[in-house]
Formats: sequence, C-alpha cells, structure tokens
Amino acid sequence: MRSIGEYIRLYFIIEAQYIKARLQYRVDFIISSIGMFFSSLITLGVFWVIFDTVPDLAGWSLMEMAFIYAFYMIAISPMQIIFDHFWQLRFNLQQGNFLKYYFRPLNMMFYYTSEMFDLKGLTQLFVGTALLIYTASQLHVAWTFGRVGLLFITLFSAALVQISIVVLAACAAFWVLDSYPVLGLAWRLREFAPYPMSIFDGAFRFTFTYVLPIGFIAFYPSQIFLRPEEVSHLTYFSPVIGIGLFALTYWVWTKGVNSYTGTGS
Amino acid sequence: MRKYLAFTRGSFMVGLVYRFGPLLSLIGNFIYLGVAYYLWHSIYKNSDTLRSMTFNETFLYVAIGSAVFILLKTYVDWEVSYEIREGIISTYMTKPLDYQTYILFTSLGQTLMSLMVITIPTLLIITLVFKVAIPLGMGTLLFPLSLLLAFVISFCFDYFIGILAFYTESVWGLSTTKEIIILALSGALIPLQFFPAKLQSILLLLPFQTIYHTPLMMLTKPDQDPQIFVSMLIVQVVWAVVLYALTRLFFEQAVKVLRIAGG
Repeated sequence: MRSIGEYIRLYFIIEAQYIKARLQYRVDFIISSIGMFFSSLITLGVFWVIFDTVPDLAGWSLMEMAFIYAFYMIAISPMQIIFDHFWQLRFNLQQGNFLKYYFRPLNMMFYYTSEMFDLKGLTQLFVGTALLIYTASQLHVAWTFGRVGLLFITLFSAALVQISIVVLAACAAFWVLDSYPVLGLAWRLREFAPYPMSIFDGAFRFTFTYVLPIGFIAFYPSQIFLRPEEVSHLTYFSPVIGIGLFALTYWVWTKGVNSYTGTGS
Repeated sequence: MRKYLAFTRGSFMVGLVYRFGPLLSLIGNFIYLGVAYYLWHSIYKNSDTLRSMTFNETFLYVAIGSAVFILLKTYVDWEVSYEIREGIISTYMTKPLDYQTYILFTSLGQTLMSLMVITIPTLLIITLVFKVAIPLGMGTLLFPLSLLLAFVISFCFDYFIGILAFYTESVWGLSTTKEIIILALSGALIPLQFFPAKLQSILLLLPFQTIYHTPLMMLTKPDQDPQIFVSMLIVQVVWAVVLYALTRLFFEQAVKVLRIAGG
C-alpha cells in the first residue's frame, strides 16, 4: 500500500505532464472555456428572467438563489475537473484497453481518474467562486472561522455527492452494453440541484432528498449560510451522505473491476 | 428525393435497435417535467395569469419545449465534424449524393424516431399525470408543419457548427456554446413572453425563436387569428431557406481547405 502523501505527489506529477500535452491545443482550450462559461451562466439567466416577473420564489430572493447556484457550481466542479475520465469508461471497456489499469501497482480508481484533468472545468470553478464571494457580500453573510470551515466541509461533501452519482452511472458500463443513457440521465439530474427543495412536495421532494440526493449538492448545505436560524436538521447529514455515497460508489466500482473479463482479444 | 428518403428510413430503423436509451430519456424528461411543474407552480402561487399566460399554458409551453429539445438533438454537429476529421467525408464526394441533403434526411429519421418514443409519451404524461389539458384549434393542426420547419432551422445551426470542424478541432466548445445560445434565446427554457419587453422585441427578430417559440405558441394558444399563424409560418420558411442556403455556401467555401491524407 502506498501512503496518501505518495499518491498526492504522484497526482501532481501525472497532471503536470497531462497539462503540458494539452497545451498544444490552445484554440480548443479557449473555445471550450467559452462554452463552459456560457453554460455556467444559463441557469443564472433563467433566474434573472423569472425574477423579472415575480419578486421571490417560495420565499427565496434572486440574490439567495444566485448564492445557491454559486455553491452548486463550485460543488460540481471537482466532478468536471478531476473525474472527467469516467465519461470514457464505456469506450475503454468496450475496446478492451481498460485492461492496462490492472497492471500497475496503483489503486485502480486513482490511476483511472488521474489520466484526465479537465482544464475547461476551471472556468466553472472560477465563475462559481466569484459569484459566491459577490452574493455572500451582498447578502451580508458573516464569515467567521467556523463558517469558513463549514463552507469547506459542506462543499467537499456536496462534491462527493455529485461525483458519486456520475461515477455510479458510468459504472453501469461494466454490466450494460449501451450505458450512455444511464450516464446521460445522471448528468441531467444535476440541473435540478440549484432549485429550492421547498418548491417541491410529496414524491419529488422525497426523491431528491433520499433517493437521488441532489438536494445535498447545493440547497441543503447552502442554508447554513443563508438562513442559519432555520437550517433543516437534514443539512447536518450532508457529510454522512457525501461520504456514504462515495463509499457505495467505490464498492460498486470494485465489483465492476473484479467482474470485467476483457474483450477476449 | 426517393433515394434520400431511404436514408430517413434507415436511420429510423437504427433507432429501433436501442430501446433502453429512449426509456431512460423518458424517465429523465419525466423528472424534468416534474421540476418544471413545481417551479412554475410556485411562480404562479399568487396569480392566475402572468404576462398574459395562464399556468396551464406556461407549463404546456415548457413541457412540450423539453420534448422538442430531445426531438431536435440529433447530434448532426458531432457527426459532421467526425466525418470531416476522419476524412470519411471524401467518400461522399465520390457518390451521386448531395452531402447536406443526405445528412438532413438521415437526421430526419432520428427525429421521427424520437417523435414516436419521446414526444408522444411526453404528451400523454402531461395530460394523464400532470392533468394539464391540451387545447385544440387551428394552431394544433399547423403545429406539425411548424415543427418540421423548426427541425430544418435547427439542423442548419448544427450543420454549420459541424462544418466549422474544417477549421478547428474542438467540437465540444462550439457545440455547447451553440446549444446554450439557442436554449437561452429561443424560449426553450422560459416562454419568450417572460423576457423584458425590449429584449423580447430583439429576440423576435432573430432566427432562434422560430425553433421553439413559434411551434410552441401554436400549441399553447391554438385559437388565435389565422393571419397570425400564417405570418409566423412565413417567417419560419424565410429563415429555413436563408439558413439552408447560407450553410450550403459555407460548406462550398470550407471544403476547399480540406486535405485528407492518402491511404
């Protein structure tokens, strides 16, 4: 077993090489970043148009919605930047080149993940961070050391929820031949995360809280900062949900890796 | 014409092979419909009509809009750019085929497939699960025609992005940017009536609204003056012809930079 420190050092070495190789395609980077920038802003545009007609949405103001959305953008960035390789898992499995990951003295999920680092995702992270800082100052969020600590913990667990949902869907490729629709559905779910869960009722709220817990990507955790006095007790479960879901994902991944038989050629 | 229709039939049949995909798309769309339902429900909490649209009309507009989105997503941009990068496009040049027409008819097959497996079930979900009645009228009859024109206009944008691959390698960025611009400016996410008045009048002059807003208005407010429908259709026809011709000219220019390694 290698230590965590060793893995971190290794990760930086691998990514440095990867980025050097990617820098050959500068136009690609610029165009993709522009695409990323626009796609980060579209939901904000939707909010802006809605709030041109109504003053609040289930009691939430435009600025509060923008804060939740900023939280969301940051929370989904690690999936985009670090775990982007999982989009290709289905091709690697079908073509058989997945076999190479079995032959290195490294954790397989680490090795597989490290092979790609999505530079354009950084745009999303920057836009999200800037928006979070701006909206927090407009909303007069009082930043104490404790709050900043909570921000990192909640963002970390929210990021784990998003990563787990997509990686779990990608793992369907171990058992299903045409797995893209599963991934497409999982990816689409995240679009529903920045809406206040309080607008939903019945089956939908239950589903988004307990079954497909996208409420934990943005809405529940950001309540700590927006409405500390009326935080739902569910919010405090977010680290448990994030870590628990990731553990489940890792278990499923290991099952998949152990059951994969290659393509036979 | 007949030879191209054979391609439409072919890609329709290919669509039949994958049954799992449409089912999950439908589940995804069902969740989207639910989210849209609750979202607009809370927007309409204190009023019966907003911007001269009732809740039913707005929900119908947004819900059908999401089905049209799946209908028009035929990945023409990805396909064309792939064929250009891999040099496959050269094989079409030796055949008695017009490339643009060929791609148009192939993607029509896919669209017809999604019409059957996504759009029609979506309409059923809207009426049966969400209990929103679909009004009938003159516009309902014209909706298929308007949708067909919207398909051609949307195809032109996709095709244009695909041809850009003659110059650039990046499809992801261009395709995403194109999709976002169309979604934001066409009424696909929010009915155009909700946009600020000044912005709205600009958007009505652009081609994007003819992809979503025009057919969706025919379906949500089907009993307007027939004159209005006729002028809407004329605007669509004009954009379809102009964009089809422009992308054709662009292809002829772009193809000159094409160099394909032998072998």
